[in-house]
Amino acid sequence: MKTIEEQIWDYIDRTLDREEQESMQTKIVTDPTYRKIYDELVAVNLQLQQIDIDMPSMAFNRKVMDQVALEVAPVALKTKVDQRIIYTVAALFVLPVLAILLYAIAQTDFKMFAVNIPEMDLDFSAYFTPLFVKIFLFTDMVLGFICLDGFLRRKKI
Amino acid sequence: MQQETDLALITAVLNGNTAVYSELVNRHQRFVFTLAMRFTKNREDAEEVAQDCFVKAYRALGTFRQTSKFTTWLYSITYTSAMTALRKKKLTTISLDDEEYIVRPADSSSAQTADTIEKKSAYVYLNQAIDSLLPDDAAIITLFYKGEQSLEEIGKALFMDPNTVKVKLHRARTRLKEKLQHLLQDEVKELI
Repeated sequence: MKTIEEQIWDYIDRTLDREEQESMQTKIVTDPTYRKIYDELVAVNLQLQQIDIDMPSMAFNRKVMDQVALEVAPVALKTKVDQRIIYTVAALFVLPVLAILLYAIAQTDFKMFAVNIPEMDLDFSAYFTPLFVKIFLFTDMVLGFICLDGFLRRKKI
Repeated sequence: MQQETDLALITAVLNGNTAVYSELVNRHQRFVFTLAMRFTKNREDAEEVAQDCFVKAYRALGTFRQTSKFTTWLYSITYTSAMTALRKKKLTTISLDDEEYIVRPADSSSAQTADTIEKKSAYVYLNQAIDSLLPDDAAIITLFYKGEQSLEEIGKALFMDPNTVKVKLHRARTRLKEKLQHLLQDEVKELI
């Protein structure tokens, strides 16, 4: 159960709902006890609004900035964790899983299911031609340059 | 408007313009220092706590999610910094509950003292009364009346439930009212 003082503080702070606020207003107007406490609390409230705040020493800002200068410059969390890094890490996990899965499928003897599927004869050497390797390396080099460019731009070198 | 400007300054710092942080420090140093004073009760320790707070805030600026006010986030750092400092130094804090520390009202029979009381403005007594509150209560009063923080925001900053904040705020105001009456005696009748 709230005391009269608590109720009036709530009224002054406007933390009551609309009905309660109106009911309290009526009480304050009609009831002398409520009116007296209300006047006292309003006066205290006005005084509290005049609290003075302190000032640190003149050198405070400089001291803080001197310490800050020794710290590593902060960066936003979203730039700290680059999405591309997340995707690369995810790819590193997903690719081996896929490779194992493909290998398992390739090695499966489908005859046991009484289905006549021809055996897979995978010869990767046919795909890894010198031209393919050159294209692969060239693409890597281009991607490397893009990354380097991005890095240098961020560093403003 | 200030909130937007704070965010703009934070973005500038995060984009590499670290010198702009000085403006953020300048803007909030008084309140952070005052809040630190509420816990440490002396200027030297408060300045150390406030300094530590701004350095910690700088380090963690990238993690500020911008879903709450920058000030609420900054005050929560001030609170943890103050608590750490208090634990380290085991500072003795003065409470209204402490029987040994009772701010005596001025003796009205002394003409000289009475004259001094007249000269002192009401806010001097008010700050004196706030200083004698429990640190949490003093911080809540300061945040509520000067920090433009709601009960929820104060709860976030001081790691408390908003209802607990409300109870403590009420307790603090009641004590301040009594304290002001005790300190000012006749003067309070004019104020209240």
